[in-house]
Amino acid sequence: MFPAPGSRLTRLLSVSVRGLRRLSLFSSSESSSTWSKVVSDAEKIVGYPTSFMSLRCLLSDELSNVAMHVRKLVGTQHPLLNTARGFVYDSKNNLQMRGLIVLLLSKAAGPGHAASDLLTQDMVSGIYPSQRNLAEITELIHTAFLVHRGIVNLKEWTVSDGPLKDMEFGNKMAVLSGDFLLANACTGLAQLNDTKVVELISSAIGDLVQGIYYESSYNAEDGLGEGVDVTSWEDQTFLSHGALLAKSCQAAMQLAKHDREAQRLAYLYGKHLSLGHKLNSDLQPFVESRLGEMTPISLSAAPVVFHRQIVGKERWHQQLQEARTLRNQLDYTKLLAAVKSEKGVSSAVDLCRYHSNRALEAIQAFPSSEARSALENIASAVTKF
Amino acid sequence: MAGSWWMCCRRFGAGFATSRLPDTLRCFGRRSACSSASSAGRPPWSSAPASERRPLFPAQSHSRAPDLGASVIRRHPGSLLYPTLQTCGCRATHSDAKPRDPFTLAQKDLASLYDDIKKELFVATAELQYLCDYYFDGRGKAIRPIIVVLMARAMNIHSNRAGDLLPGQRVIAMISEMIHTASLVHDDVIDGSDERRGKKSINEVWGERKAILAGDFILSAATKALARIGNSAVVKVVSQVIEDLVRGEFMQLGSKENENERFKHYLEKTYKKTASLMAHSCKAVSILVSSDPEVHEIAYQYGKNVGIAFQLVDDVLDFTSGAEQLGKPAAADLKLGLATGPVLFACQQFPELHALIMRRFSSKGDVDLAWQYVLQSDGVQQTTYLARRYCEEAIRQISRLRPSPERDALIRLTEIVLNRDK
Repeated sequence: MFPAPGSRLTRLLSVSVRGLRRLSLFSSSESSSTWSKVVSDAEKIVGYPTSFMSLRCLLSDELSNVAMHVRKLVGTQHPLLNTARGFVYDSKNNLQMRGLIVLLLSKAAGPGHAASDLLTQDMVSGIYPSQRNLAEITELIHTAFLVHRGIVNLKEWTVSDGPLKDMEFGNKMAVLSGDFLLANACTGLAQLNDTKVVELISSAIGDLVQGIYYESSYNAEDGLGEGVDVTSWEDQTFLSHGALLAKSCQAAMQLAKHDREAQRLAYLYGKHLSLGHKLNSDLQPFVESRLGEMTPISLSAAPVVFHRQIVGKERWHQQLQEARTLRNQLDYTKLLAAVKSEKGVSSAVDLCRYHSNRALEAIQAFPSSEARSALENIASAVTKF
Repeated sequence: MAGSWWMCCRRFGAGFATSRLPDTLRCFGRRSACSSASSAGRPPWSSAPASERRPLFPAQSHSRAPDLGASVIRRHPGSLLYPTLQTCGCRATHSDAKPRDPFTLAQKDLASLYDDIKKELFVATAELQYLCDYYFDGRGKAIRPIIVVLMARAMNIHSNRAGDLLPGQRVIAMISEMIHTASLVHDDVIDGSDERRGKKSINEVWGERKAILAGDFILSAATKALARIGNSAVVKVVSQVIEDLVRGEFMQLGSKENENERFKHYLEKTYKKTASLMAHSCKAVSILVSSDPEVHEIAYQYGKNVGIAFQLVDDVLDFTSGAEQLGKPAAADLKLGLATGPVLFACQQFPELHALIMRRFSSKGDVDLAWQYVLQSDGVQQTTYLARRYCEEAIRQISRLRPSPERDALIRLTEIVLNRDK
């Protein structure tokens, strides 16, 4: 149940490292240049990428208060610090990804048939103001959960890991700032004047929580428990990484009064893109050619899950044992080699391509436009490693 | 800062109530709220003459109610909202009915409250499900759903309908308890509480991360249910609560140097953290049955005033109630560094408290010292008195509705709020 004291710190460190990775998903390797280009081209298509909502939120008394307090956390190991760092240093291409896709889809779908001309006049760069607000709300929710993911369990903390007070304080800030972002998302949603959208996005928040909850129960077992098979990996990953984007894409169609079919296709695009995106980021440590660097790999990463299913539970436990060092830490180079020796990586690559293709299929029904091309480029970029 | 305070004032009181809060606040700057209030020539809380001279609850017996009603009519023409002003006749027939206990009266509508909540919280993950259901065990007072249900019925009758709840009103009663509970779960993490309602807190048993997620999940289930009512105005009103709760929590982080500012800060925080939920839930059920903004305002004002009174009494109980009665150790607020009503009033008598408040009772012995000062001062009495004033305002507001057993139960409820000992 309780891991040895040494591994606690490792796990926490790997949590923060993964937090960072999540923020810089596609900027770590050569694929980053492809990705950055695809994203920055796409940003031009939607006009301005952000509305004033996030600005209002960021400039609020509450968040500047948090920012001041977060400075006190410098030098501690609270994950909030890394999350906050991510906003400052990596806000360019990745943090606003979800919002960008919502905007691109809105533009690709165009004005709804049922929408009045009056509403159409309000469009900026072919996007309704309500869709821009929705894109921001999606980002607020995503960010809120980046922050809430980084809450530390105080009982797992030992004095040797650093002062408990810092962690308590970091938690307080993380709870409050996450709640603040969520609350702003709620009031923003209400302003959209569409209760269907409120229901959709609320259910996405519920999905997200379930996904993260599962994620954190699973991580706690250090990969030694029953583990998941590929199907349940996909289900869980959809909850934690796909539902928000899928449902936001659907909601963007609803806001423009597009029919159910358009909503379904938008949902599918968001869903499959997210899954492809997650597979890509899970695959990064396995496809990078850089040597000598010991990157901690998550035991719930797709290639590991596939690998475990291929080799079977017993063989996997044996490999885990072999990769353990004397101080009960994991030798990731060894583990990486073990996973690479089997078909886990290539299966994950195949699945990534599959989701990329499904995303591409979904948007074919939308009329050809530069926004649709950008969506196609993004869907293709997730298979570049 | 000043700007936002004035905006808050506007929200605190609309119409003729606008002048009241600043008046009261001015009173707090002086030594005694009571004397300055009456010397101002215009009683700040009630349109009836100086309240010391009249019984606290005019509506305790129904025969007193017309007095208040009459004075309302005299001072504010047209403020009694039901069109046929058959005040006397109506009340006469009504006073035959025995005043009923709010809890009994609300019970029939709340019989399935916790089952309904558990249905909303259905999830695939068994453990998450268990965490979410943890506090919905029927041990809570469910004071919010009670108020909402009574308000809904009073509103329905006021709007010439049968009293029976509309489906959306029932949902709002449920949501009010869910939002409240979600915020408790997060507050316990923020405050590091290990106990809640006589059992271990979620964070104590399952850790902070899962507790936060459980709170988030309850909130998402609440907003989902809210959306399904299908009324955008209601969605807006209730989501304002969620924002107020967080802003209130942020306000609790800071304290003000200046004594006047400090009291405003305290009342504004109290509004946001406690009263906003009651006020907006009441308003939401009124929106579902009536299109009249004046009626919505009555619902809102009742909820707001009762909510603030409720919290003031809570803050008093933190000093007066033993640990076993409240289900949490007394002086919990002091230990968290929070200066509530009794301390703020005590500080006017014992300026020595100022330094302690500013350092949030963080030095050794501060909590005990502050406690002593409060007990020696009349801080507890003054806070109780203030709570009573808020209740009177709540009664004044709700009395503008057409009489109904539920309306009268809401009046009775203010008494219960004031006299509760846990």
